[in-house]
Amino acid sequence: MKLRTWLLHSLLVLPSLALSADKVTVKMGDNLPDRTNGWGAVVETINAEFKAANPGVDIVTESYPDQPYQEKIKIYATAKQLPDVFKYWSFSTLLKPMVDGSFVVPLDQASFAKYGYLPGALESNVYNGKLYGIPVSADLWVVYYNKKLFKDAGIDKLPATLEEMVALAPKFKAKGIIPMTTDGKDAWPLAITFDQLVWRLSGDATLPRQALARKIKFTDPVFVKAATLLQGMVRAGMFQEDLGVSDYGASRNLFGQGKAAMYLMGSWELGLATDASFSEGFRANVDVFKFPTVASGKGKTDDLFAWYGGNYVVSAASKNAALGVKYLEFYAKRFPAIAWEKQATFPAQTVAARPNDSPVAKSLLRIAAEAKATSGTAALDLSTSAFKEDIQNAIRELSSLLVTPEEFTAKVDAAAAKAARKQ
Amino acid sequence: MKGPFESKALVACLVIPALSVMVFAMLIPLGFSIYYSLTDWSGFGVYRFIGLENYREILMDDAVFWRALWNTLLLMLVTILIQNPIAFALAAVLTHVSKRLSKVLRTIYFVPAVLSLVIIAKMWVSIFNPTYGVLNKALVAVGLQSLAVSWLSNPHTAIWAVIFIIVWQGFGWAMLFYYAGLMTVPKDLEEAARVDGAGWFATYAYIIVPYLYPVIGAVVIIDVISSMKQMELILLSTAGGPGQLTQFLGVYLYQKAFAAGEYGYGNALSVLFVAISIGLTLLARRAMPAAAT
Repeated sequence: MKLRTWLLHSLLVLPSLALSADKVTVKMGDNLPDRTNGWGAVVETINAEFKAANPGVDIVTESYPDQPYQEKIKIYATAKQLPDVFKYWSFSTLLKPMVDGSFVVPLDQASFAKYGYLPGALESNVYNGKLYGIPVSADLWVVYYNKKLFKDAGIDKLPATLEEMVALAPKFKAKGIIPMTTDGKDAWPLAITFDQLVWRLSGDATLPRQALARKIKFTDPVFVKAATLLQGMVRAGMFQEDLGVSDYGASRNLFGQGKAAMYLMGSWELGLATDASFSEGFRANVDVFKFPTVASGKGKTDDLFAWYGGNYVVSAASKNAALGVKYLEFYAKRFPAIAWEKQATFPAQTVAARPNDSPVAKSLLRIAAEAKATSGTAALDLSTSAFKEDIQNAIRELSSLLVTPEEFTAKVDAAAAKAARKQ
Repeated sequence: MKGPFESKALVACLVIPALSVMVFAMLIPLGFSIYYSLTDWSGFGVYRFIGLENYREILMDDAVFWRALWNTLLLMLVTILIQNPIAFALAAVLTHVSKRLSKVLRTIYFVPAVLSLVIIAKMWVSIFNPTYGVLNKALVAVGLQSLAVSWLSNPHTAIWAVIFIIVWQGFGWAMLFYYAGLMTVPKDLEEAARVDGAGWFATYAYIIVPYLYPVIGAVVIIDVISSMKQMELILLSTAGGPGQLTQFLGVYLYQKAFAAGEYGYGNALSVLFVAISIGLTLLARRAMPAAAT
């Protein structure tokens, strides 16, 4: 009796074991913890389609917020436990160490070229003549704003210059509205803004690159002036009071919950206009404008600070590397259409404008189309990880009013000199 | 008749498992840490030996290291000199109230110690928030708007706000230790002191406190170690900011190793961290009266 039960049990269990043995699980990692809204939902849709097209493939995703995710990936790389396919960034601070350490597989650039990538997008992921990642978003540095809060503060015209924008601060504050929010805790948005201001002042987008290459110095007057303008924004009360401890989520929520009139962030936040976690009133009123010019500067309003940051890469240690590359091809094919349909982010591939696009999407398409020049990656991501950390620390001190603009630029210059010695 | 512990083989069998855990979990990683601290490894790829350069840079050029060390010492002093006496006084009060009230109060005081650090950090970050935080709302409500600042990002208040959170969280443990210690003080000692005419202050100062030296010593050592180990609450609240004003050693070495990609430098920091921890613990033991150690 017992033997018969055992045999019956074995007959039932063995086929399922055989089935599970055939199943391939692809481990994925990204910085999109919200899987029901925006970009996270786009990835889930792509994954579902990929699984349907590839029976027997399962996808397990590990997601963390931006900065913890970057740190986690570095730890995984050190421990040789990288996910099979993971979202990363094209920057020399992030992708280059992965390439140098042979942690990611090279891809066939020709096979991805057919997916309508914007000019320069694939090239931003090329190191040593080989493509290592597929770009996913075109990142434009812009100012999001809440039309209703502008109206409430009696402001009917968007600021054309930085000086005009700063002059709006008292009007918003008089109504109990925070003029502008951004992620000051992680500080990279302020470092990008610093580069943006250098360009607006000088009309030359290459100055930070030249300073990193030690052809000029970060202590030169234009950098000091840009730091003075940035610190001036803090002194004028442009940002939330706890800028230094507001992380990405906290600063985004301040804007989404209608507490702040403007949000200094990149075009990947296109999904704010469709994010169901914010009120209908907010979503109907959110729009975007170009980062203003500086009154005395040589930069033009159509000089667009833009780069291709986010990408997807395949781990070289993965047993499923071939499947990972197949996934990237699928992603490249499906991402622009799904991302645009859900208005989740601004893809690095061409998309067709639709009549029912959100105002934010329409504005971003217009801003991209009107651009006469683009910047490329900001200085903080053009050197070493240590330089990135140093400039972020320095900018935290600048925005906390702990150092003068001169002291700030001296610190950044010392960090650039140290990075140049180590490279 | 031979006792079981006279057999060397048996003693070895009992000691080896624990010893192996110590060797594999502490000594070998420490050895690796010392090895990597002599390199410029970024965490990936090739690296070269740079001798004691990381240590030289930390000790000679790294102002953030000294700031982090100072903050650690400040936390230690506040914990030992402010948190401890209050915890002791409160524990003493609890021994004089009714058993029922004592139980309720002990539970309340101990709640922060059992809460998750993530919850504590998020809760205090919200309370201290200048836009929607309860603290500033309360200050404004009672007409003290001049005191309503951005507690965690204001350079003048940030370190004290952070230390307050840590002390608040650790208070329950200190109180519990002291309460348990006070319950062991023989009643006849107190009565004898009272018969000899000692008031409550003299009873505590000359009888009870000396009797509890071993407990006080243990709590001080725990304070020293927990101050050194402080990391999660900082990382979740200020991450060392504004600037580097609330930086602590544990957070700093983590940021250096994993955010800045200076793994060798981070390891040098961790080796110094271990050396300083051992040094301070020995110092604390030596500074305590003989009876406490």
